Amino acid sequence: MTRTPCPDLEVLFAEVAEGRGPAFDHGKTCPACAAVLEEHRELEKDLFKLQDPFPPANFVPQVMAKVASAPVSASVELKTGFAILGTALALAFVILVARGATAGQLGISVAHWAVEVRAILVGLLNGVAMAWKTAAVPVAAILAALLALSLVGLKKLAGTDVPAKV
Amino acid sequence: MTLAIASIFNLKLKPPGFGMMLMSDAVELPWKADVLAARRGDKNAFESLVRSVQRPVYGLCVRLLSNEAEASEVAQEAFLRAFQNLGRYDAERPFDLWVLAIARNLCLDILRRRSRLQTQDVDDMKDALPSGAPTQEEGAIAHQERRSLEAAVGTLPADDREVLALYYVQKRTTKQIAEVMGVAPGTIMARLFRAREKLRKMMAPAPTPAQEAP
Repeated sequence: MTRTPCPDLEVLFAEVAEGRGPAFDHGKTCPACAAVLEEHRELEKDLFKLQDPFPPANFVPQVMAKVASAPVSASVELKTGFAILGTALALAFVILVARGATAGQLGISVAHWAVEVRAILVGLLNGVAMAWKTAAVPVAAILAALLALSLVGLKKLAGTDVPAKV
Repeated sequence: MTLAIASIFNLKLKPPGFGMMLMSDAVELPWKADVLAARRGDKNAFESLVRSVQRPVYGLCVRLLSNEAEASEVAQEAFLRAFQNLGRYDAERPFDLWVLAIARNLCLDILRRRSRLQTQDVDDMKDALPSGAPTQEEGAIAHQERRSLEAAVGTLPADDREVLALYYVQKRTTKQIAEVMGVAPGTIMARLFRAREKLRKMMAPAPTPAQEAP
């Protein structure tokens, strides 16, 4: 009876895991392959006995000290800010509603304000149209410069140190 | 022979063996409440999270860096980054795996820095170094190390050490290991085999002079 040559060990182990294949069949009859498999099995038994070491006793306090001294993340700051703002607005609204007369006054004020804003906006648009007709290029340049400055300012404001790899 | 053949079938029947260990993939979310509280700034909740996963995180760092003091520093840094980035963490996924991945990245950064430094040192001292052949003393140390599995694992490359630590020491599934390492789950078994094969060769008894003779 001719024996098939021993397969590559990686192939053998892959087929042992699958439970089928020519290498697996070979392993069942080849003493050399069976010996290697047995050695791996013994090694696995020992490896499963290994344990993670315990961290130092002061590990958690040290972590918490670092956490306490670390700057608050931008998202937490934003959430806190919006929560405060929302609560303040809600409170203000409740107070206004509680005083019916003041709420009425508020409605009239808002209506006045809306009308005035409309007039201001129309005036502004007319002014811009006139400026554009008389000096389009300088106006465009000024607007572009303003936009660039605003973007740079926003970038600086939003820039936070976030770890590169998390 | 019969025994050896039977052992092959044992591999199929007795968990754990050659990665046949079956673990439930059901994801439990015991950390979710603490994560949500920690996101709101509750430091006690975060402390509870740290306590629950400190050992595996520190353990992986120790195995990767082979230096307890450095491992402690890196594990602490990993938890700090986790705290600062809780907003980006998906609470439906296991918290421990997320922190392990952070710690692993930090360790790999340090190992890369170390290897760069070593390369520079070797380049600087190339002329002063003796030949690459192991000395008798080094041979004796290597032989001593073979006696201890733990020490032998410590001599493997970092990628072998981490896959062995996660699978055998921390009893993670291949899917979980793949998540930590950022690789395809299908590659984990092959990595495990290669690491184990290196260990097997390392742990094999040193050949006697009679065996070495041609």
